[in-house]
Parts: sequence; C-alpha cells; structure tokens
Amino acid sequence: MATLNEKKTCSERMENFRRFVWNPETKLFMGRTLINWVWISLYYLAFYVVMTGLFALSIYSLMRTVNPYEPDYQDQLKSPGVTLRPDVYGDRGLQIYYNTSENKTWERLVTTLQTFLTAYTPAAQHLNVNCTGDKYFIQDTFDGPNNTKLSCKFTSDMLQNCSGIADPTFGFPEGKPCFIIKMNRIIKFYPGNGTAPRVDCTYVGDESRPLEVDYYPVNGTFNLHYFPYYGKKAQPTYSNPLVAVKFLNITRNVELKIVCKIIGAGITFDNVHDPYEGKVEFKLKIEN
Amino acid sequence: SNSLTFCLLQFSLSFGIQDDHKLSASELEEKYGTSINKGLSSSRAAEILARDGPNSLTPPKATPEIVKFLKQMVGGFSILLWIGAVFSWISFGIQFAQGAESPFDNLYLGVVLALVVILTGIFAYYQEAKSTNIMASFSKMIPQQALVIRDAEKKELPAEQLVVGDIVEIKGGDRIPADIRLISAQGCKVDNSSLTGESEPQSRSCDFTHENPLETKNIAFYSTTCVEGTATGIVINTGDRTVIGRIASLASGVGNEKTPIAIEIEHFVYLVAGVAISIGVLFFIISVSMRYKILDSIIFLIGIIVANVPEGLLATVTVSLSLTAKRMAKKNCLVKNLEAVETLGSTSIICSDKTGTLTQNRMTVAHLWFDNQIYSADTSEDQTTQPFDQSSPSWTALSKIVTLCNRAEFRPGQENLPIMKRVVVGDASETALLKFAEVILGDVMSIRAQNKKVAEIPFNSTNKFQLSIHETDDPNDKRFLLVMKGAPERILERCSTIMINGKEEPLDSEKAEAFQTAYMELGGMGERVLGFCHLYLPENEFPDTYPFDTDSMNFPTSNLCFVGLLSMIDPPRSTVPDAVSKCRSAGIKVIMVTGDHPITAKAIAKSVGIISATSETVEDIAKRLNIPVEQVNRREATAAVVNGMELKDMSLQQLDDILCNHSEIVFARTSPQQKLIIVEGCQRQGAVVAVTGDGVNDSPALKKADIGIAMGIAGSDAAKNAADMVLLDDNFASIVTGVEEGRLIFDNLKKTIAYTLTKNIAELCPFLIYIIASIPMPIGTITILFIDLGTDIIPSVALAYEKAESDIMNRRPRNKKKDRLVNEQLAVYSYLQIGIIQSVGAFVTYFTVYAEQGFLPSTLLGVRVDWENNAINDFEDSYGQEWTKYQRMYLQWTGYTAFFVSITIQQVADLIIRKTRRNSIFQQGLFRNKVIWVGIFSQIGIALILSYGLGHVTALNFIPLRFQYWFVAVPFAILIWVYDEVRKLFIRRYPGSWWDKNMYY
Repeated sequence: MATLNEKKTCSERMENFRRFVWNPETKLFMGRTLINWVWISLYYLAFYVVMTGLFALSIYSLMRTVNPYEPDYQDQLKSPGVTLRPDVYGDRGLQIYYNTSENKTWERLVTTLQTFLTAYTPAAQHLNVNCTGDKYFIQDTFDGPNNTKLSCKFTSDMLQNCSGIADPTFGFPEGKPCFIIKMNRIIKFYPGNGTAPRVDCTYVGDESRPLEVDYYPVNGTFNLHYFPYYGKKAQPTYSNPLVAVKFLNITRNVELKIVCKIIGAGITFDNVHDPYEGKVEFKLKIEN
Repeated sequence: SNSLTFCLLQFSLSFGIQDDHKLSASELEEKYGTSINKGLSSSRAAEILARDGPNSLTPPKATPEIVKFLKQMVGGFSILLWIGAVFSWISFGIQFAQGAESPFDNLYLGVVLALVVILTGIFAYYQEAKSTNIMASFSKMIPQQALVIRDAEKKELPAEQLVVGDIVEIKGGDRIPADIRLISAQGCKVDNSSLTGESEPQSRSCDFTHENPLETKNIAFYSTTCVEGTATGIVINTGDRTVIGRIASLASGVGNEKTPIAIEIEHFVYLVAGVAISIGVLFFIISVSMRYKILDSIIFLIGIIVANVPEGLLATVTVSLSLTAKRMAKKNCLVKNLEAVETLGSTSIICSDKTGTLTQNRMTVAHLWFDNQIYSADTSEDQTTQPFDQSSPSWTALSKIVTLCNRAEFRPGQENLPIMKRVVVGDASETALLKFAEVILGDVMSIRAQNKKVAEIPFNSTNKFQLSIHETDDPNDKRFLLVMKGAPERILERCSTIMINGKEEPLDSEKAEAFQTAYMELGGMGERVLGFCHLYLPENEFPDTYPFDTDSMNFPTSNLCFVGLLSMIDPPRSTVPDAVSKCRSAGIKVIMVTGDHPITAKAIAKSVGIISATSETVEDIAKRLNIPVEQVNRREATAAVVNGMELKDMSLQQLDDILCNHSEIVFARTSPQQKLIIVEGCQRQGAVVAVTGDGVNDSPALKKADIGIAMGIAGSDAAKNAADMVLLDDNFASIVTGVEEGRLIFDNLKKTIAYTLTKNIAELCPFLIYIIASIPMPIGTITILFIDLGTDIIPSVALAYEKAESDIMNRRPRNKKKDRLVNEQLAVYSYLQIGIIQSVGAFVTYFTVYAEQGFLPSTLLGVRVDWENNAINDFEDSYGQEWTKYQRMYLQWTGYTAFFVSITIQQVADLIIRKTRRNSIFQQGLFRNKVIWVGIFSQIGIALILSYGLGHVTALNFIPLRFQYWFVAVPFAILIWVYDEVRKLFIRRYPGSWWDKNMYY
C-alpha cells in the first residue's frame, strides 16, 4: 500500500488554516464566499423558524388535547406516597436526630412543624367548608365559587396534643416528639374502599416490640370526607388531611428505625423500589 | 530512490551467490565439504541444518496477535469512550467517598462503557482475524520433495531439510528446491519467469557463461521450475539466503501505508471526536458557569461524549467491508485486507499483466490464409465450431497437414471434457493446432491412425520446419503424402507451386507477393505464423516398401506445394474487451505491462481496447504521414507503446511525460523491476494504482501499489504474500467487478455514516436542553447505548446491501483529496437538518408523555434540582398531585423509553431516505433491498423487546410504554421522508445549483 498521507509541519498547518479562514485569492471565508454565507444562513434561519413553528404547533395541540382538570393517565400514581414532617434527610433517608438538652438541635425541627402547620390555621382554611360525614365527599358538579369544587377544612387543632397550640414545642424537649404524617394527593383516588385509612407506626423489622404511640386525630385516621381529590384547578384551596403521631416511650441514645404505614384498601406499602409508597420510614435518635 | 532500490536489489542478489558459478566442481566440493558422488553425510547435514535453519522462506513478520488486539482497543473512538469510563469511575469514587446515596450508577456506566470498547474491539479483531485466515489457508501448500544424495544413497527428502552442500537431482517438471550450482545437465531448461518475468524457458548447463550470477547458465534458482531435461547440482543457498528469499525480504521492507478508506475513516473519527470534545467542553464550561457542581458537570460531559460517539459505527463499517469482501470472493476477488475492498473502488490506474490476465494464456489459431484469402477463426474460450468457409478443397488439404504434421496428443481419458479444456502433451503451437483440428474435423487421433506415419523429422531450430510422411487413408491411392510445416519463409523457399482452390498452380512472383502481404499482415497482428505445404510422392518412385531415412533425407524436401498459412495468438479473454471499456467509462486508465514483444503486446492491446481503434502511436502517425518519428507532434498521439529498452534509458521526467500525455499506454519487453518504476511513476501523478502480478519479482511492485493484485492460478506465493488481493481466476474482468463493488461500498458507507450520525443529534440535544432548561433528563446514557449498539446496528449494515443509484461505472474514480467519505454537506445535513427534525419529534413525544401523566411543559422548565432531590417525596405536578422520588424516576424512565422509541421510529424514516442520495426512493424501489426491511423489523423488534420484554428490569431504565406513544413521532418521520424527497428532487432538477452544492452529500 502506498503513501497517501503527507506529513505537514505545524507552520504549514497554521498557514492552511489561515487560508481556510480567509483566502484572499478566491475570496472565500471559511470555504464559502460571503454571499454564499448569507444564503446558507438565511436558509438555516428559515429552516429553524419552520422547525420552531412545528414544535410550537405540536405543543399547542398537545395543550389543547390535555384535560385541564385531571391528567389523562396516572400510570405512576397507583398508590400514594407518604411524607413525614419534620423532614431531615441524611445519606440514607430520613434521619431525625436531636439532643433534648441542646435546644438548637430540636428548635429547627419544631420550626419546621410550625411552618408546615401555618397552612392549617383557621385563617388559611377559611375558604374551605366544614365536613362532618364520614363518607367520600363526591362532587359531580362545580358548587364552589368561580366554578370550582368545595374542599373540606382541616385545621391544626384537629391534631390536638400535636397541634402546636397547647405545646408549641411539639413534645420534643420531653423526648415525646410529635411527627406529622401526610399522604400524597392523587386525583380521584378513593383510599380505604369506604373505610377510613389509618396510620400505624411500628419498629422496622420487629413489629411485635411495643411502640407506644398516640395518634391524632383519634385512631390516626384520614377522614374519608377529604377524598377524593379533584385536582388543583377544581379544588384550589384543598389541603391534605394530616395525622400526627406522638412517640411516648422512645429509648434515649439509641438509633431507632420506625416505619409508619398507612393501612387501607388500595394503598400498598410493599413496593421494594419505593421506600415512600404507602409508608414512611425514618431513623430516630434522641440523646440527652 | 528507484535506481537506489535497483542497485540494492542487484547488489544483494549477487552478493549471496558470490562466485560459486566460477568455481570448478572440485573447488565446490572443497568449499562445501561435500562429495559429488556421495553427497553429505547425514550427520554433517544435520549439523548444517541446525546452523542454517530449514530451507524455507520465513513468512513475513506478523504483528503479534496481542498487539493487533490492543490496537483495536485504542483505535477510533475507543479513547474517547475510555475517557468517559474513567470520568465515570472518578465521579463514582468522589460520590462514594462523600457517601452519596446512589453512587453505583456511575460505576456501572463506567463498566458499560469499558465493556462497549472491549466488545467492539474483540469484534473488530475477530473480523480481521477471519479475513486473514482465508489467506492463510489459501497459501498453504503441499510440502515439496527433493531427490538428494546423502551417505552415497539417493533419498527423497522434504525440500525443507536441504542444506548447503547437498547434491540434488532435478528433472523436467520439478520445482528447483534451492539455489543450485549445476555440475551436470542433460537438455535442462528452466522457466525463470517467476524471477525475471522472461517467459521463454532458458537452457541450463554446467558451463560458466556470465560474470553476473543472475545471468550465468550454471545456476538454477529456488522456486523456478525445470521444464525439461535433467540436472544434478550442489545446493549453494537455502531458505531466506536464496535469491528469491532476498527479494521477498526486500519486498517486505516496502512499508505498508494506510489505505484510502483508513484515511477516510480516520478523518471521520477526527471530525466526530472534534465535535464531541468541543460540545462537551463547551457545555462543561456552560454548566460550571451555571453553578452546577463540578461533579455534575463531569457527568454531563460523559453523557455528551456518549451521545456524540457512534459506538457501533466502526463495527458496522467492518461488517460492511467484510460483506463486500465476501461478495467479491464469490466473483473471484479474494481480499486479504478488508480495507483494500474500497481501495479497488478508488483505483484510477490499473497496471495489468498481459499473459493470463488479459489473455487466455494458451495459443489459439486466430487466422488462416489459403486461396489468397485471410479467414478469421473463432478464438473464444469455449469454441465448439469454426464458422469460416470450409468448402474449398484447399482447406481439405490444409486441414490434413495440420492434423498429420503434429506430434501433440490428448492425454487419454478426457473424452467427456470440452475440447478446449482437455490436457495436451505437446508444445503450445502444436496444442493450438491439435485443438483447432479436433474442433473442425472431429477425432484427430483416428484420422492419424488412418494415415499411418512412416517417417518424421521433428522441429528443430536449424531446420525451422517439421516434416512427416504418411500413408493416405484412400485405399485406392497408394502414394505417400509428405506434409511439412514451419516458419513461412522457410516453407515457401521449398515450394514451387501453390494450391489455389484445390489446384496446384505455379508459384510466380505475383503469388509470392500475395503470400508476403498476407504474412506481413498476420505478423503485424502480433501473431505467430506457420506455413504449411505438402507433396504427394509419386507412386513409382516411392513404392509402399520404400525405406524412408530421415537422416539422409532420401525424399524430396523442395519443389513442394504451398497450401496455406495459419497464425496463432494467445487470444484475449472474451470478457476482457468489455471490462476494458467499462474501465474506460469509469475513468480508469488501463496500462498494459508485459514482457512480450511490442507487436504482440500492441495487437492484444488493440483487440481488448486498451488502445482504442481510432488512436495512434507516434510511430503510427509517422508511418501514415510518411515522416520521420522525430517530426511527429507527440501530443497528437494518444497511444504509446514503450519498449523496456527505451524505459531503461528514460529519466523520471520523461516517464512522467509519457504517463501524463498518453491516455493509452502499453509497456512491452519490461522486466518486473521496471514495473516498480512504472507504478511509482503513476503514483507521482496522484493516481491510486492497482497492479497485477504473478512472479516473485513482482512483489516489490505489488507492495508499492495502492492495491497489489496477485494471480491465484499463475501467481507465486511471494506475489500472493505481497498482494492485497488475489484474483482467483486470473481474469482482468474480475478486477473490474471488484472496482464496481469497491465504489458501491464507498457510496454505501457514506449512507451508513449519514444514517448513524443523524441520531447523534437527537441523542445530544436532550443533554444540552437538560443543562440549559433544567428539565427532567429526557434520555439516559444507557438508553443511548441501546440505540447505538442495539436498534441501529442491523439497519446500518443493511445499507451495505443497497444497489447502486446509477451506473457507478460511468463516473470518474473519486479524487482522494476532494471526495471525502464524510464531507461537510453530509455532516451538516445529518446534524443540522435531519438530526434537528428528529430531536424535535423526540421532544414532542417527551412532552406528550409528561403532559399526559400530569406534568405540563410549562411545569417542567427549571424543575431539575427539585426533581432529582431525593429528599422531596411530595413533588407537586401541574394538577396538584404529589409524587415521590421513585414515582418521578419511573416517569423519567418512561420518558427515556418514549424518547428512545421516537428516535427509533424516526430512524426508520432516516433509513429509508438514506437508501438514495440523489434518486427518489420510488426510482430506487422500496423493496429491492430486502435487507433494509430486515433492518427495519429488527429495529422495531428490538425496541418492542426492550420496552415490553425488559421493561421490568430496573437497571436498564426501560418501561412498558403506552402503545399510542409509539406514534407521536410518526408525523415527524413522514416529514423527514418528504423533506428528503424534496431535497433529492431539487438536486435532480437543478444540477450544479446552489441547492445541489449545499445539499448533496
């Protein structure tokens, strides 16, 4: 096979490059005449304008076809996620560590709870209605103001001892802390199949070991009249119902693994991939 | 440097022989410690064998397998992918040290990237090894035996075990087993053509006839053949020290340079790597300045590299080339080096041998002259009849002489074979005459039996005639028939009459003139002419008991009756003229390089079209205008016939002039060494040169050529070793089919690369938009690898099966400097037009999936940080629903799958548009290339399997996708197809226009 590649020196390469950028003899700028550059730029400009237009048109027609009240599919939302407040995440999930004798360590946890509950003051909830029936609050029509649906009131006082009203420190300094369990909103999700779902907290892996917990509201249930959720557009003032759990006999200076599950038909908590589906696991360690 | 090569060659050759040719037998005995009668003792021979090694040529030093393997691991894009892998591991290390939650993703990504490099490396290595193996099996030969005198006994030994000082005996038909100084010879002739290119057998004796060991008669060279006679000699050189061995090692000294396609692929790799690195670095800077973490920026960089590098492409190119190599092997072109497939396609000059390549390599009767008229005979390979007028009684007489005055015979047991294929014992001309007679008259042997031979004088160089006397087959005619053939002028001398239409007429000057004219004419066609005459011996003088004595010649050998002339030539192969004209229309210059006589060479060149009917040489013009050669305007002559003797005295400048100014060139009487000079001359013109060769001495030229083509039948091992390609049937026409395949594969590789590059943009854009607009990641790195190495592989190979768009042999060979494999138009059209349409289509699918699951496009912008935050498990969508991290991840993977599916669907359209570069798909036919459909079905099949079959394997990030999302990108696929049809339409409509220049790749 014969020689085809010629060796070029660096200066020759530079010279070639300079000639490529501007060749005074042929009047070529980077391989094209200036007018040619104008043409090609105009062509690409037009091409991209058309492509942008097509993209915009596609997105516009997409927006026209989607339902403004509820999504077409809820493939990923078969069972609601569960979250915990206060939520302090460490390397491996929720880790609530504090020292009863060091105010600083628990004050920010308390603040988190207080901030979270500001959405549940009577003032914040004044647009919502009082609901009493222990049944699903099904609304086929838009009875609320501005063509919306009604939402039930949930105020922090329903959390009684954990409301932060009687005890603004939520029991943290005494080592009997309150945690708030929230179930994620899913549109038109009917949890519990007619029975109110409830929160159940146990030690992880050792469910027989007694964990003394007070649940608020009573029995740790989410009242059925908060369901179903009709979506942001239909229920702009909807707020999630909450359950507070107060741990009463936490062993000090030991890291404890606790899981709070939501028990109810239609709520699964055995998805190996999703640690927050139907349950919330956390580590708790109270030092003194 | 040419003359230097020459000197070196001569010097190194003669040095090895020293002066053995000058020594006497006893001096030789002393020098080599041997005895001419007893030979070496076995123990002594074993000692020498241990010292010198076996008598065989060391095969050219092969690159160690491990080096070849490692080369595959670092070539092409591999370095880029290694960098990606190392970055992945570094970021894994950092994340692991920081105790992050899921650092193993990066570890796996690194492993996957490394695996990709290693697997594609292994694949390429395997492909190359496979094609090398074809050659290895091809060059294996049956071990040669030699008759040696050792311990005073004659022994058959494998030629490998010969040592210096051995006494060997050779006989006709043997291959000379080593360089031998002859000490006795009986009528020994050797065929040195593999060494010197001279095709005439040369006599060998024990006499010292020339100072130059290469010229002297008492040395026979390794690997040449003894044609006839016997000889005994002393082995003076073995193995690599033989003359042939030295030439072979000289040939391997000519370096292997990169093939044109290797250069093109390198250019393409640089281009893509350049784009990948610049975009990667640019976005690294952008992401750092957008306050992304350095670690994140590195991960983006890896993604950009992976998206930009067409991981599967080099493997695809290898497969395409080996598919073409296979196809060429079926057409009798065996390619040793895969890349040579394309080199053949870019060939602009073919330097071809004559004998055996352009011609059939057998003498055949081409013309006859009797009754004052020239008749043409059929010279095709498979003649079964001869169409010329056979009614004249003169022909009957002539045919009798042809039949009877001939010693050649068919080997028995070939009755079922076609006449042309039967093996004949006898020399080339007699064979030609025998077959000619057999075709026309039928069973020659029985005719000879009916006309019993009573006396015979075989041909010899002093008489220059052959004569025999026969009884006739007519029982009533008791006369003897004397028949004679030989050199026409000698035959004519012996004649006093000439037969015209069966009647004997006196041979007057007018008839002699006619004979001369015919003889000149036939000779001028480069044919070997024989004259035939006969005489019926009068019954009274020669009764049937007459004792014919060939020594005293007691019968008349003059005043005979001249009957006619027959002329023979080694005729061109019937496929060659067509092949040459194809070369001509394909812009390939065919140069004939032969050791033959200029007249024969020119005649063959004319009959195959290397010199076209209308063109003239300088000598022709001089003859026509009747002026001296020096006065002819050399520019007017398009053809040139250059004699090897002239070439010897030419300067390089003069040779360049000839190569440049004449379009039709024949080099006659050239030595194989001169071939090298011619090849170098052609390469100085910037041509890609293909050279054919068979002899050992051709190997430097074969190596030097851009593509060396060795003859499979006539070729020596050394030539096959030096060549890039072996022509199994020795046929020139096979080269042309090879050229066609080579050109086709170049076009098709263009299509493959265009196809493959397009989706890189659709893979790259997600990263760029992800970084800039902070949307959830649209496609994962692993997913990209599944496109590059999964769905896209079979379709891109399928493009190698695409038929040519137009007559590929009607355009000029590509200019290796200008017609790049990947040119600006190809890259720009693929990247900035089709690639962008694909990206838009894929993004529309992406937004559709997210919107229908709850995230409207407006919500997605700028959402990245929270979206990827493990600590947010109640992430709110556009409808107020809340999502855990895993639910979002699952949606993200759904997005990956949707993006992947969209690219796949649009790649189907891309595949269809890439079938043609200029023609409409409808002109090309959608269904002509069935493999494309295999590609399309495989593509969709793999996507279906990934989505629905492997959708539950978390590590792969595929999700069973809702069926309708497969169709979101279909309008864009149609748009791609329509847009490309419009592009092609304008290219066809307005050739040379701005559009054509910018949009045709």
